[in-house]
Order: sequence, then C-alpha cells, then structure tokens
Amino acid sequence: MAVSADVIPRRPTLLFIVVLSLLFVLMSASRRTRYIGETRTLFERSVMTIFSPVPKAVNWVGGNVEDMYHGYLDMRRAVNENLQLHRKIASLTTENLKLRQSESDLRRLRSLLGYSEQFSMNTSMAHTIMLDTSGRFKAIIIDRGSANGVEVNDAIVNANGLIGRVVLTTKDLSKVQLVTDANCSVGSLIERTRRQGILRGDGKGAILHDIPSLADVQIGDRVLTAGIDGIYPKGIPIGTIVRAEPGQDLFKQIQVTPLVDFGSVEEVIVIHTRKIPAAIVRYAP
Amino acid sequence: MRWLRFLVGLLIALTLHSLLDSFFPNALAFFNPYVILVAYYSMGGNIFGAIIAGVIAGLVQDAFSGAIFGLHAFSLTVCAYIVAYINSRLDLRGTWAFGACLGGAVIVNELVIYILVNILLKQRIEMFEQGLVVKTVFTLLFGMLIYQLLTLFLREEPIQPTRRPAAW
Repeated sequence: MAVSADVIPRRPTLLFIVVLSLLFVLMSASRRTRYIGETRTLFERSVMTIFSPVPKAVNWVGGNVEDMYHGYLDMRRAVNENLQLHRKIASLTTENLKLRQSESDLRRLRSLLGYSEQFSMNTSMAHTIMLDTSGRFKAIIIDRGSANGVEVNDAIVNANGLIGRVVLTTKDLSKVQLVTDANCSVGSLIERTRRQGILRGDGKGAILHDIPSLADVQIGDRVLTAGIDGIYPKGIPIGTIVRAEPGQDLFKQIQVTPLVDFGSVEEVIVIHTRKIPAAIVRYAP
Repeated sequence: MRWLRFLVGLLIALTLHSLLDSFFPNALAFFNPYVILVAYYSMGGNIFGAIIAGVIAGLVQDAFSGAIFGLHAFSLTVCAYIVAYINSRLDLRGTWAFGACLGGAVIVNELVIYILVNILLKQRIEMFEQGLVVKTVFTLLFGMLIYQLLTLFLREEPIQPTRRPAAW
C-alpha cells in the first residue's frame, strides 16, 4: 500500500515528537536515578563506552604534552639555575681564596702583634721586599728605613724568633743581616741551663761557641738571645740545638737550627733597641 | 559522506570538550562546540538527518557532562529541528546565514535547557541571562570562524542543501 504524498513530509515532525518524548522519558528516568547513587543508566554507560577512547586519548596526549612542557620548563629552569650556580661558585671560590688569604694574613699579623707587645722597647712593623738567602752572606731587605726610625743594629724578629739585625739603612729601605750569615754573632744562652755563649752563622744554620765541654747540653734545648751584646734584647728565641759534640779543645761543638724559616719571611718586627753609646763601647780601663 | 563529516565533527567536538574540561574547566560555560556541529549539519535542510544528528550529539554531550542524561540531547534536537526546518524552506547560504542560524540555535538551546531544568529539577539557573549572552557571543564567533575555515580549505560550500519538497 502506497503512502500518500502528504504523509511523507509529516514524518520528520512525527519523528521529532517521538524522539523528544523518548528523550523526556530518558531524562525523567535519569533524574530519578541520579539521586539514589545509580547516576548512570545503561544507555548512558553504553554511549560513554563507545566514545570513551576520545577523552582517554585526549587525556593521554594532553598529559604527555603537559609533561613535556613541564619537563622543558624544568630543564630551562635547571639550565638557568646551573648557570647561576656556576657563577656563584666562581664568585664564592674567589671570595674563599680572598678570605683564606685574609685569614692567613690576620693570623700572622696577630701573632706578630702579640709577640711585639712582649717588648718594652719601641717596635714597628715592616715587610720584606727582597730576600737573599742563597749565598754565604744572608740578608733581607725591608720596606722601612731611616725615615721610619729604623737604625743600624735594630733587631729584626718575627713571631717564630730572631731574624737578624739592621746593617744598613736608606731613607725608606733597610738591609738586615740574618743570624745565619757567616759574619753574624749573637750573644746567646741555653734556655734550660742559662749557660751563655756566642752564636755565629755558618751559612746554613748557626754554631754555638764558647760552651764548655762539661756544660750540660742536650739535643732539643732552645737557644735564646742573652742580651749581652748591646744589640739584641734578652730572651728572643733563636733556634734549637740539633747536634752537640765534644770539641778538640775545652769547648763543645754545638749546631743550632734557627726557629725562623727565612725562606718564608713576610712581615717582621723591627725592635728599636737602646744603643750603647760609642764612648762606652770603646772605653778600656 | 555527510554522516562521515558529522562523525568527524562529533569527534572533534568531543575532543574539544575533553581538552577544555582538562585544562580550562569552566570554558564550556562560555562555549558549546556541539551546537556548532548540529547547526552546521542542520543547515543542509534535511530535517530527518538533523534530528538524528541532534540526538547523537546531545547524548554524547550528556554522557560526558554532569547533566541529566538526555537534557542536551533534547535541547540539541529542538535546535536541529528548527534550523533544518527553516533551511528546508529558505535558501540560506553563506557565513552570515550560518551565523544567524547558529546564534538562534544557541539561544534556543539555552532556553530549552533552562525550561527543562526548571521543570525536572525545580531549580533556577543562576546568572542565566549573562551566561546566555556570553555563550552566544563566543559560540557564534568560534562557529563562524570554523565555517570560514571549512569554506576556505574544502574550497566548496560545506553545506550542500538536500532540500525536501515544501511541507508544512
């Protein structure tokens, strides 16, 4: 049976009404179930199942893109941070070196200062600017001269002990003869026994003369200035006895190693000693 | 071919829906890709096909949103029917015609949802008027942009009317 022509155009409208009715029923059913825990009807679940690959794929791609983006950001941040840390390390290394240098300077200067305070005489600080300890005649040049009150025969010490005496001054420089110089003599004594003698340089170390063969001398005894030569104040450490042998005559052969390492002298203390007037020195009764 | 296009469009709309849900959770309050799809498809004037398209698109939207299942299917079916019905009688072509249909579809869609929510849930949608304006503007802009792009890249009128004889 043929369908009349005027019925065919009505079909979409009928379909529309039927569909809307079905959807209304579906909504009503869904409305009832959504408040009792069963929020998804079978039909709804089916639609979700059919189309679920799309959100899953989007989520997977989105997650990966997000991870990549965050990874990229983290990498950029890490690169920048790394660069900053490198700069900081360089800066801190430089600062550390400066601080180490300062600490070393401070420690040395403190010990010098503490040492210089022991002396009742005037003292002043000087820096060594030249060091000649290679030959038999040993000397250093310091950056203080007559303009700074340095005079010939002023004693030069550092925190470790005696270095020598001033033998020549200019306006702003002074030459210091070291105790190891072959022409240097120092009135000295052994700290433990107070036995006095004359210490003379031998180019490498020093020899303590005029100590009788019967005197009590031991390896390791400290030798101090005796304050009897009119140049060096009493009690300045000079060195340690490293060898003591009976001599061919009445005196012992005593080898002394200076306490000062002359190769690393930087700052020194100039002790402005009280000079004995020349008339007294030359006086002979 | 038209159904294949619709299916691809539906997958794109669902992708957009998922993307927006994932990264901009409130974006779907300002923009509805399913209405664009249904309006675009219904511009062909095939009322039967438009109803089916509206139902399918609406059910998919319902399945992946928190609304009552069938709510968007109902509203989109109404939109699809109206747009298709008008296009079966008037020869509407071009971007502006699509814009007018899409704008009307968005408004009808929102009104139907408003009424259904009132009836079924006895609830009022807050800030409905503001939401309607914003959603209409954004959906319209985005829909017309898509229409222009489709015309440009497909190098043909994306909507090929399949007109039925004049009916009531």
